[in-house]
Amino acid sequence: MSHWMFSCKEVSRKVSESMDRQLPAHQRMLMNLHLMMCKYCRRFKDQLLIMHRALNSEDLPPGDADACPHLSGQACERMKQALKDELAKGNK
Amino acid sequence: MEKKQSGAEHRLNSPESWVDQYGDFLYHFAVSRVKDPSLAEDLVQETFLAALGARKNFQGRSAVRTWLIAILKHKIVDSIRKRVRESTSDRVESIADAAAGDSADVEFTGKGGWRIRPARWAANPLETYRQKEFMDVLYRCLGQLPQRLAKAFLLREIDGLSTEEICKELNISATNSWVMLYRARMWLRQCLEKRWVKPEE
Repeated sequence: MSHWMFSCKEVSRKVSESMDRQLPAHQRMLMNLHLMMCKYCRRFKDQLLIMHRALNSEDLPPGDADACPHLSGQACERMKQALKDELAKGNK
Repeated sequence: MEKKQSGAEHRLNSPESWVDQYGDFLYHFAVSRVKDPSLAEDLVQETFLAALGARKNFQGRSAVRTWLIAILKHKIVDSIRKRVRESTSDRVESIADAAAGDSADVEFTGKGGWRIRPARWAANPLETYRQKEFMDVLYRCLGQLPQRLAKAFLLREIDGLSTEEICKELNISATNSWVMLYRARMWLRQCLEKRWVKPEE
């Protein structure tokens, strides 16, 4: 690794790492410098961010309200019973 | 200890009310991912029971709904993983094999340039009309991610744990956790590119 320039491989590591911790300033600078010049690494970074956003999404898929699936009354009762049983077990 | 009776805390004390409050939402979410209504129902119930068990650890860092959804996402990925393991398609095996090595070494030349350059994705896969297909592929890929990597990755991305917390949970070093998260992301990105950008049909 030459110390003044990151390769794409190194940048891919740093992009990932920067999602998990604050990078040291000089590494951040080298990463950003590379990103400025390399469209494939920019693409890579954008794609990681899209994956991140997708996984954090709590959105329900779009669809008309009529098609929105509901739990049946039966299923609700069964779940409440299961929770009650579990609570009772815990309280013993 | 700080004692603050928040709304969230209040709701935690009556687990049965979760079913009325969050049941339909969780069910809708689960159905959209696993397709099978009775499996979705099971996953929602498992989610409630797991939440009940973990209730004491819930620190109110997020809304109750967010907390429940995070648990549900783990359940969904686990169920997809089970299904994937039961099927023995060659495609699945070839992807699992590729993951056994360091996928980063496969992706780069000796000089550290991209061997296969990242392909251009649709402008925004999260746009409404593309989202469903993208999410389907993403979850299928997650179900195929090697287990150890998946564990670290889901703790980070879905539960939002810090690196320190993940290290404690998995008993690994900080450097190790960054490497694992990196591999997981590389692997997933590759999987998405194979399955979503250029679906092999």
